[in-house]
Amino acid sequence: MEATYNYKVVRQFAIMTVVWGIVGMLVGVIIAAQLIWPDLTKDLGPLSAILSYGRLRPLHTNAVIFAFGGSALFATSLYVVQRTCQTRLLSDGLAAFVFWGWQLIILLAAVSLPLGFTTGKEYAELEWPIDILITVVWVSYAVLFFGTIMKRKTKHIYVANWFFGAYIVTIALLHLVNSAELPVTLTKSYSAYAGVHDAMVQWWYGHNAVGFFLTTAFLGMMYYFIPKQAGRPIFSYRLSIVHFWALNFIYMWAGPHHLMYTALPDWTQSLGMVFSLMLIAPSWGGMMNGIMTLSGAWHKLRTDPIIKFLITAMSFYGMSTFEGPMMSVKTVNALSHYTEWTVGHVHSGALGWVAMISIGSLYHLIPRLFGREEMWSTRLINVHFWWSTIGVVLYIAALWIAGVAQGLMWRATNADGTLTYSFAQSVNAMYPFYTIRLIGGFMFFAGMLLMAYNVWKTVAAGKAVNDARIPEAVAA
Amino acid sequence: MPEATRPRPAPGGAPACFHCGEPVPRGASYFIRYQDSAKPACCLGCQAVAQTIIDSGNGDYYRLRTDMPPTPEAALEELKNLKLYDIPEVQASFVNSAGEDDNIREANLIMEGIVCAACVWLNERHLHQLPGVLGADINFSTRRARVRWDNRKIQLSDILKSIQDIGYLAYPFDSNRQEELFRKERNTAIRRLAIAGLGMMQVMMYAVPVYMAEAGTMTRDIEALMRVASLLLTTPVVFYSAWPFFQGAWRDLKLYRAGMDVPVALGVGLAYLASIYGTFTGSEDVYFDSVVMFVFFLLTGRFLEMNARKKSAEAAESLVKLIPAAAVRLPGFPGNREEETIAAVKLVPGDHVLVGPGESFPADGSVAEGVSNVDESLLTGESHPVSKAASSQVIGGTLNLESPLVVKVEKVGADTVLSGIVRLLDRALAEKPHLALLADRVAAWFVLALLLVAVGVATAWYFVDPDRAFWITVSVLVVSCPCALGLATPAALTAALGRLTRLGLLSTRGHALETLARATDFVFDKTGTLTTGEFSLRGVYPLRGEQTRALDIAWALEQGATHPVASALRAANAQGARLQAQELRYIPGKGVTGTLDGRSYRLGTPDFVGAHPLDIHAPGLTLVGLADEEGLLAWFALGDALRPQARQLIAELKSLGVNLHLYSGDRDENVQALARELGIGDARGDMLPQDKLDAVKALQGHGAIVAMTGDGVNDAPVLAQAQVSIAVDQGAEAAQAAADMVLLSSEIGRLADGVRQARKTQKIIRQNLAWAAAYNLLALPAAAMGYVTPWMAGIGMSLSSLLVVLNAMRLSRPVSHADDRGVAP
Amino acid sequence: MDILYLLIPLSLVFVALIALVFLWAVKSGQFEDMEGPAHRILMDDDSPPSSDTKSDKGVH
Repeated sequence: MEATYNYKVVRQFAIMTVVWGIVGMLVGVIIAAQLIWPDLTKDLGPLSAILSYGRLRPLHTNAVIFAFGGSALFATSLYVVQRTCQTRLLSDGLAAFVFWGWQLIILLAAVSLPLGFTTGKEYAELEWPIDILITVVWVSYAVLFFGTIMKRKTKHIYVANWFFGAYIVTIALLHLVNSAELPVTLTKSYSAYAGVHDAMVQWWYGHNAVGFFLTTAFLGMMYYFIPKQAGRPIFSYRLSIVHFWALNFIYMWAGPHHLMYTALPDWTQSLGMVFSLMLIAPSWGGMMNGIMTLSGAWHKLRTDPIIKFLITAMSFYGMSTFEGPMMSVKTVNALSHYTEWTVGHVHSGALGWVAMISIGSLYHLIPRLFGREEMWSTRLINVHFWWSTIGVVLYIAALWIAGVAQGLMWRATNADGTLTYSFAQSVNAMYPFYTIRLIGGFMFFAGMLLMAYNVWKTVAAGKAVNDARIPEAVAA
Repeated sequence: MPEATRPRPAPGGAPACFHCGEPVPRGASYFIRYQDSAKPACCLGCQAVAQTIIDSGNGDYYRLRTDMPPTPEAALEELKNLKLYDIPEVQASFVNSAGEDDNIREANLIMEGIVCAACVWLNERHLHQLPGVLGADINFSTRRARVRWDNRKIQLSDILKSIQDIGYLAYPFDSNRQEELFRKERNTAIRRLAIAGLGMMQVMMYAVPVYMAEAGTMTRDIEALMRVASLLLTTPVVFYSAWPFFQGAWRDLKLYRAGMDVPVALGVGLAYLASIYGTFTGSEDVYFDSVVMFVFFLLTGRFLEMNARKKSAEAAESLVKLIPAAAVRLPGFPGNREEETIAAVKLVPGDHVLVGPGESFPADGSVAEGVSNVDESLLTGESHPVSKAASSQVIGGTLNLESPLVVKVEKVGADTVLSGIVRLLDRALAEKPHLALLADRVAAWFVLALLLVAVGVATAWYFVDPDRAFWITVSVLVVSCPCALGLATPAALTAALGRLTRLGLLSTRGHALETLARATDFVFDKTGTLTTGEFSLRGVYPLRGEQTRALDIAWALEQGATHPVASALRAANAQGARLQAQELRYIPGKGVTGTLDGRSYRLGTPDFVGAHPLDIHAPGLTLVGLADEEGLLAWFALGDALRPQARQLIAELKSLGVNLHLYSGDRDENVQALARELGIGDARGDMLPQDKLDAVKALQGHGAIVAMTGDGVNDAPVLAQAQVSIAVDQGAEAAQAAADMVLLSSEIGRLADGVRQARKTQKIIRQNLAWAAAYNLLALPAAAMGYVTPWMAGIGMSLSSLLVVLNAMRLSRPVSHADDRGVAP
Repeated sequence: MDILYLLIPLSLVFVALIALVFLWAVKSGQFEDMEGPAHRILMDDDSPPSSDTKSDKGVH
């Protein structure tokens, strides 16, 4: 037993990543369609409430972030920690518990959110019983991960594990603080915080969830899978260490930029702005480190669609980490806040960075988990890549224009000081952009279907690897 | 997956060796079995090494590697010599017993031949496959390995041997000597830097809101809270990170001198104390952010400098390698010949030791029996082997070339010539001024002045407009934070040093670049600097018969001899006919006789062949004659070959306006001939080390800034005397320890690039300092007059620092056409 | 802004924890080799077993 890796849990999470990706993105496509055709699900009787925009939107965010993104992170982190520490996971039982526990949480979310049970906190909508379950599973995950690191056979802890470790610890902390709530009934609770404090805690959570769940953790993925797929060491290992400490330290403090022009004291907002701007440095350092890993092997960017996914993801990471701090500048924020621009920004990060790096990593991972040299069809990966890229570009370009138009219409005034446009007029102006967004989003979703087919064929032709040998030449 | 690294096709269409990539000589038939096919190998060494690697299941190495390994040396140390490392007394200096069990041992090894990560992979795997090896951990950055083994199951010599079997060379070293010290020093430095860095970021997070809050939006109690938090964070930075400054300052004060740590300590201490007072009295003057930032930037500079110093220490470590660890003692000499192997450190004067050919002398002494040639080039720079007979003096660390010698030990340990040279180096190093720290010093005084100005500004504004006094003081402090000033020099130096290191020119001292830029005079030592230091055939003068025939005969006669003349003659005739001579008889110091096709030949010194080459004018060359029974057949002129880029280097240095000198210990006529060939005006030969020293002092007396290039340890005093010294040729690693710069590349033309780079660095440092000064000159009065708000000051300070760093980054690009020719293999 | 009385001490605790983790990392030699680890992950025999390169008779 000891001489092999635990691939089972990695395999389970890898497959579920694809499944939940399809589910989450399908819900996204439905709510994007509802913005164009608000009556789309109105006449479905009892289903119309369940399928209403307000119920599906949190289901969409939870499904793509925690079900799709989360599964991808479980799969990759548990794979990377084993391979780089050259040891089997701490406990197979715990690994199985983490997998089934997480799936149960997702199922509970998929039931409770459409039924309307919500705490009303963005990205933390789940009610208190599920919150407790999340805590238990997450602590098990932490024990599994850090326990594996502690029994490692190598002296050095590879940088990807540092990123994963920071994410695990921080998410635990964020979840505990933000989910402090007073249960009233089994399905209803009240936040422990009130007023502006609640807002501040919520956005401290919301911001760092983006920071540590959607950035730090996926950077861990990047630091393993880009070098592996490219077959070259990371451009600068030293830089990756600096990247880790600088990014995580500064990220903690940029939270208030989500609350520009609110009841928060002015200086707190300015503080958020300053540290958001400072974030550009480590973010771009990390991006360059990832992309420059290919220096000397740029031809792989033409020939290897997996590398295309990974490197395109880094480019989107660079784009959105530049766009984000810009949007935290108060004058820009005055225009962008509450508009579709924000949604576009989020998706350039979520689709362009998070989803693409995950997809690239999975394409690298799945053949290895099923004893194959490569995916069933490389051509299909290539098609997937182009559908996804075009989809993301359509999506963010449409919403960028929509957002700026929206912001300008809202602030336009006549000579006498009255508003030029009514709110309904600005909604009306959104139609063409919503349509383009739906097309872009659908293309991305359709790409996931291609992936599922490709994975199915690969798995069917392969054989689950249960005895991946741990190399015996390990450092003392 | 990475493609298998295939050998480059060798020039001329010859197949490349599967293992090392060198062209396979015609007619060679060595093959390596790899994945069911036979791959060509260039020599027996490559074949054996590759087959060992593949047969032990590590054939993946050939798929993983990214660089070609060196061709395994034919004359690897024999197992007998390696066995010496198993002797407990020998092990005492480098082996640690890990844990209570004396049989579990650990040693640090220097690994040679590691060129890419696959080498690390291969060695670790290979070692782990040896039964009895408990752990093997190779540091790729430093090329050091730590090995743990069970002495009951395997001996250290077996481990070393099995590393040789796969084509690498490992030898133990005493890690406690230098490396361990540096490792600890570096870790402490990282800790101090990290604490300062963390403290700085966090204190800034408390400080920035105070600057940014518009009047009245931040309540006094929140402000007080942030100050107390800042105080808590600054305290460890001051008492831990900045501790070396206080220590240094205290040392200086005890000696009544104003060292550079004094103003730093004063600045940090005063600002810290004043800020504590401000925190608890609610006064406006709290400078915690300036304190931590200042400490952080100073520590960064020191850390960069320390890393540069470490490189020189690594070179010094190689000096230890010169003295062998063990010796063969003849306790009954001359009565009986019984041999015993003991640790070299156990030798006492009066002992007799046996030193075989290819071995180094373990101590200083005199020859008691035997005749041989000795290579003293490492210590004396002398390229010719020196012949030794009874009662000749031999120096510990030099290499016996030809036949066994019995040596009577006269001096051991600290009394030996080698130790003396090492001490000389240490002293010379210690006496050199640390010009590189000047920037720290300036920054330190700057802070002190800044604090005074700030106090002045605060006082002045207190009388003009008390409400604005605090803001303006803060602005003054922030806007004129000496970050740019503190970064100006180290940033430029680091960028330039990185660039130079890539060119193969390593700086081991902080001031090296600075002085190189200002150098007016370049002094060359002939041997090994402008010449390769190796014998080669420079001319053949046939008297009877054909030139090729003479070379073929010489090849046959010198077959199997290790003398440099023999190697040169063989090398010159690599493509010739392979004749077989019989009855070869070597007469040490004279030549060789032998018969070929029934005729007897002699090859050797003019005396030996019984003729004198009156009509051949070959200044600086050694003449070797070839004669048969009827008389002389040919003369061979052998000599030091000019380095490929020597001519070009001299021309480039001249165009850079540097005066050139050639001071050599060789015969004057050789030196003059070389100087004429290269066009160097001032050339002197027959110089003793003392003469060179005097000559350099004379140059310096006329105001010259001397850059000295040399290669032997005997140059060490003069290298130390010169303002900047450059060691050329990695063979003599000992000299590298003392030199300010080391040319690792064999391309001597890099020196001219070095001068250009150094001058550009000086220019950039001056620009940086000028920018920092100009910025402060403009910003400080503006801030003092109240035109700058604190957040503007913060941005100004950051931009100023950024500009300085970006300017410095320009140095990491190539300076000139240097790289155009750089890649020529 | 009473919440700051909680957040600022909390941030001090975080900084202390981060510092401790960093100091541990230095002590355990995590920063001693800044090149090797990048290469090491590339050489961990993870190509699928179907590949024909593995004869590996010396491996146990």
